[in-house]
Amino acid sequence: MTDSKYFTTTKKGEIFELKAELNSDKKEKKKEAVKKVIASMTVGKDVSALFPDVVNCMQTDNLELKKLVYLYLMNYAKSQPDMAIMAVNTFVKDCEDPNPLIRALAVRTMGCIRVDKITEYLCEPLRKCLKDEDPYVRKTAAVCVAKLHDINAQLVEDQGFLDTLKDLISDSNPMVVANAVAALSEIAESHPNSNLLDLNPQTINKLLTALNECTEWGQIFILDCLANYMPRDDRESQSICERVTPRLSHANSAVVLSAVKVLMKFMEMLPKDLDYYGTLLKKLAPPLVTLLSAEPELQYVALRNINLIVQKRPEILKHEMKVFFVKYNDPIYVKLEKLDIMIRLASQANIAQVLAELKEYATEVDVDFVRKAVRAIGRCAIKVEQSAERCVSTLLDLIQTKVNYVVQEAIVVIKDIFRKYPNKYESVIATLCENLDSLDEPEARAAMIWIVGEYAERIDNADELLESFLEGFHDESTQVQLQLLTAIVKLFLKKPTETQELVQQVLSLATQDSDNPDLRDRGYIYWRLLSTDPVAAKEVVLAEKPLISEETDLIEPTLLEELICHIGTLASVYHKPPSAFVEGSRGVQHKRLPPRSGSGESTESPEVGQPGGTGPEATPAVIPSQSDLLGDLLNLDLGPPASGSVPAPTSGMQMGAVDLLGSGLDTLMGDDSEPLGGDIGGSPAMGAGFAGAPAVMPASLNAPVGGGLGDLFDLGSSMGMTTGAYVAPKSVWLPAMKAKGLEISGTFSRRAGVIQMELSLTNKAMSIMTDFAIQFNRNSFGLAPAGPLQVLTPLSPNQTIEVSLPLNNVGPVMKMEPLNNLQVAVKNNIDVFYFSCQYPISILFVEDGKMERQVFLATWKDITGENEAQFQIKDCHINSDAASNKLQSSNMFTIAKRIVDGQDMLYQSMKLSNGIWVLAELRLQAGSPNYTLSLKCRAPEVSQYVFQYYETVLKN
Amino acid sequence: MISQVFILSSKGDHLIYKDFRGEATTDAINVFYQMVTALPGDQPPVVMTREGLHFIHIRQGGLYCVATTTTNASPFTIIEFLNRLAALIKDYCGSLSEKSVRMNFALIYEMLDEMLDYGYIQTTSTDILKNFIQTEAVSSKPFSLFDLSNVGLFGAETQQSRVTPSASASRPIMSSRGDQVRKNEIFVDVVERLTVVIGANGVLMKVDIQGEIKVKCYLPTCSEMRIGLNEEFSVGKSQQRGYGAAVRVDECNFHQAVRLDEFDSYRILKICPSQGEQTVMQYQLCDDLPSAPPFQLFPTVERDKSDRLLIYLKLRCDLPPKSMSQELSSPDQRAELQPSSKAVHWEISRFPGGAQLSALFKLEVPGLSAASLLEVGPVSMSFELPKHTCTGLQIRFLRLTPVQPNPSPRWVRYVTHSDSYTIRI
Repeated sequence: MTDSKYFTTTKKGEIFELKAELNSDKKEKKKEAVKKVIASMTVGKDVSALFPDVVNCMQTDNLELKKLVYLYLMNYAKSQPDMAIMAVNTFVKDCEDPNPLIRALAVRTMGCIRVDKITEYLCEPLRKCLKDEDPYVRKTAAVCVAKLHDINAQLVEDQGFLDTLKDLISDSNPMVVANAVAALSEIAESHPNSNLLDLNPQTINKLLTALNECTEWGQIFILDCLANYMPRDDRESQSICERVTPRLSHANSAVVLSAVKVLMKFMEMLPKDLDYYGTLLKKLAPPLVTLLSAEPELQYVALRNINLIVQKRPEILKHEMKVFFVKYNDPIYVKLEKLDIMIRLASQANIAQVLAELKEYATEVDVDFVRKAVRAIGRCAIKVEQSAERCVSTLLDLIQTKVNYVVQEAIVVIKDIFRKYPNKYESVIATLCENLDSLDEPEARAAMIWIVGEYAERIDNADELLESFLEGFHDESTQVQLQLLTAIVKLFLKKPTETQELVQQVLSLATQDSDNPDLRDRGYIYWRLLSTDPVAAKEVVLAEKPLISEETDLIEPTLLEELICHIGTLASVYHKPPSAFVEGSRGVQHKRLPPRSGSGESTESPEVGQPGGTGPEATPAVIPSQSDLLGDLLNLDLGPPASGSVPAPTSGMQMGAVDLLGSGLDTLMGDDSEPLGGDIGGSPAMGAGFAGAPAVMPASLNAPVGGGLGDLFDLGSSMGMTTGAYVAPKSVWLPAMKAKGLEISGTFSRRAGVIQMELSLTNKAMSIMTDFAIQFNRNSFGLAPAGPLQVLTPLSPNQTIEVSLPLNNVGPVMKMEPLNNLQVAVKNNIDVFYFSCQYPISILFVEDGKMERQVFLATWKDITGENEAQFQIKDCHINSDAASNKLQSSNMFTIAKRIVDGQDMLYQSMKLSNGIWVLAELRLQAGSPNYTLSLKCRAPEVSQYVFQYYETVLKN
Repeated sequence: MISQVFILSSKGDHLIYKDFRGEATTDAINVFYQMVTALPGDQPPVVMTREGLHFIHIRQGGLYCVATTTTNASPFTIIEFLNRLAALIKDYCGSLSEKSVRMNFALIYEMLDEMLDYGYIQTTSTDILKNFIQTEAVSSKPFSLFDLSNVGLFGAETQQSRVTPSASASRPIMSSRGDQVRKNEIFVDVVERLTVVIGANGVLMKVDIQGEIKVKCYLPTCSEMRIGLNEEFSVGKSQQRGYGAAVRVDECNFHQAVRLDEFDSYRILKICPSQGEQTVMQYQLCDDLPSAPPFQLFPTVERDKSDRLLIYLKLRCDLPPKSMSQELSSPDQRAELQPSSKAVHWEISRFPGGAQLSALFKLEVPGLSAASLLEVGPVSMSFELPKHTCTGLQIRFLRLTPVQPNPSPRWVRYVTHSDSYTIRI
């Protein structure tokens, strides 16, 4: 006879039969009957009608039967409160039973009967049981207080059970202590300010002692409670850490994780130069690694936690990369988590190993995993610069396999690599174009279109490629349509002559035949922009993009801190704060890591968080989603600006830019512009987009507006990429015929305090050029390359590569004639070539060239007349404010402005990188196109070059 | 804090349901079953949530063991608890299956009652539990030595092995019905799981051994058991290994009941095993295998003239000949193409140590190109090596004190499993 017979299906009159059996005289029969009742209960049958009969069986000496009856009671008491009262007498009697098992059983069951009326009968027995001589009864009673508190909190306080519970923390039996701690912790959560768990060094000491003696589960309660304690200083923090550390080698992973939580939290308080800090870091790695040998379920939960720990303290696991390598029999969800952690741990030291692994993963069978692996290769390229080249070649290998989804993923990540390292890997574009036809996923198509648009000038048949996409325009997803629109506009701006028809086609498709508002509006904006002011259009659409950030999907630092406090809990698996998924008051308090104390380390450790920070609106996707229309329009990411690589624009420029578009739209849209303009101006996306864009120079947009599209054709190549300051267009420095096919044109600029030599290298020969290098002759201001010439990919025939060479001025000095002459030698695999060029003096103007008013006055007086030079600037049409703004962006600062006799007098100062000050007085006569410039300088030979620059800026 | 615990059969039948905190309704069971069966493949099934109720489950023996919670509880605690629950059911009922759970539901309810109170875990130790449990287990079938259908090491769930001394490792620990004589057995299993990655050039790229010593004890009382390991056993990465047959592991941790006072000098573990199964020691070794990996594979992949893919595999077992199997007859093999997983499955039922096997697979692949060859691989092997540990760990002796009146049978068994043995092409 086995119990399984009880599960046989219901027969008619079964309840009746059971009733009879329950009332039988024979104990055995009674017991069997109660078992049948419970079996029915389990499968969900309603056996509440038997309540009185079952309760009648309660008074028995047979413990097995009693337990079964109690089981039934707990389930049905709530639905039969009146009947439940019948049982109270027996409960109270049982609480006095000489057998501690029965006493505990009674108090445990009573607490589980969630009927209000019973609670008043519960108080007296509970009070006795809390003081019972048997620890088993005491620990059960401790939990019962929490149960009672949940039903009737007021009653528990009135009866003084909380104080008794607090006393139990000092109990001699560790199990009682653990349960008391657990019960108090739970009660304390519903009274955040009650200070119920009054944690002080004495109680902490008691808890730490109990920690060594109690069961594994009790240890978890105690460790979780310790994690809420805030040590007074780093010494106390260290002593707690020392006593918790042995728990790290426990076999129960829950104990280990609770210990890790305490240590991660208290570590925050330890000074980093302490020896113990290093020791602790070392001790944390092995237990985390051990977790990865557990069952897949535990592994998954562990990996989610490790993901947090790695973001907070990457140094703990930096040498353990190998354990995160994927096993072929890992479940997919474990594989994906491991991949994520691998990328987080990737560094220059281990990148070769990681790449080799990722390449293997990319040939596996599971499609999801392969995709993520390919993406991971791209993320490695972006994270570890030294590996970028290897990553790109790995991706190219993968593209060769022609496996559809691999190719598509690879193209999506290569687009990101282009963004991160502009002008480095464009030689692969040809390979990418070969795979155009196999792309069927919107994301890959959009990425490819972006690449074609961005590098239209290097792809001979860019117009054909884009045209081929245009045929099925209306069947594409919005993402692709938007990209296609932008790409064709870019192409048009770069190759205006051949693509006029194409751009008109796409604009009409977007504006007239589409009912997608995003697409339509963007189409209109481009259209108006192109027809109103093609110069501005070019500057907006082809603006320089900020670099993309290195790490994606980083958790925001404050959230990360909170999650670190919740290591080992559900929050750490969801990566969400508990308040996001726990209802009611429990556990909603936000936890924070303690501030670091000790040896004067006030700033956060550098590995925490990203420089630049990840804003709450950060989007992990590199292509902005469709909703970020404006940002996308300008081809900017709305995500966090790249760490420090973008010079912060001055507020004046920002305002100018916003204003520009606002008023531009006003005139564009006429009367209807009100809502649209307002929307754009007010949206945060706008602000973000412009904040990241140093590119738009207000002054140059005030240039006379030509008429419509036709005007654009005159543009040719005369517009350089503008950044803040005026930059002269590139001119040819070295013609191809003088240099065996290598043509070099270039210009100089100053961005964020760094002098840049912008070079375009064009290969007009028949063979590939490689191994580029550059050197300067000695010159007047000691200009020298700050790094090697970065031409990493071979320059194939008819290819042009854009290179920015940062310069410094610590090189050897020799006075040149003219003063700003620079002699350059460029070498490649063919030969060495020499040329000379002249740089505008403005690149030497440093950012702190603004003189104090008083100093200016004194200096002006101090410099004698023979060091003064006067110049006439003719045919200038610009007012004094605009002039001042324009000059300011070249680090020529206006100190004061006076109006004398209808003349605007601007007093300006600038400082050369070698410390020479130049003082200027610019006189503008209203209505007259001729300006007078007086320059005073202790080294008068520079005045002429300063004047030249004034002239260039004011006339352009 | 655990709100509910329930056990479902693979078909979704309710086998056990217990509510501890009255926070959720019985509907949770059906909600869970719908969620877990409708889960898309790429979603991790471990933690699921619906309307403020969080489900954490494990799957063992074809059953879903589920716990729910409404608080920000620790999934580690809950998963560990559910694993213990499954192990305890195995200990008490002999096996974990739908049948054994149905037959012993009263016992399981009683256990749950003692293990959890108001969702707080109280104990999972058989020593403590046996003081409280009143119900007697019902074994699914009367134990018989001749019934070999459920032969298997308890430590090794997947593969079967005929070297197991008897089926007695899978019977309830506390059955009082008969079998008094055989009751006093002790099993000590050393189980190692081997993870190996061998690169395309034959270089060992990664080795990782996870090992454990498990004890299953049927003695009703046992004051102390001493397990002697190899005397040359060393722990830690830094220690230099001499020329001898030293056995080294990187890390080890022990069951909390293990006393280590003789471990440092004599490599002896002392434990008073409680009835049932427990993992006495876990250890791991990375990267530094004392001997060559057990299998070497020499693969060649090429394309023949008629555009067929040729995969030539030569497999060699590097273990000393006698360590493997009893007979040296040519092994029976099977091979099969599995289109769903795009794999060729080569099965070798027995592989003598020191032997070498070759196979040539010719595959017709439509549209085969040179680039497709790059996609072939890797080779993954799964195997079981009985009577062998890759670390070389051995149990020197197993002593019980005080000496039992009627000597109890003691079994020591070794086995190495492949966890993930991958050879890249």
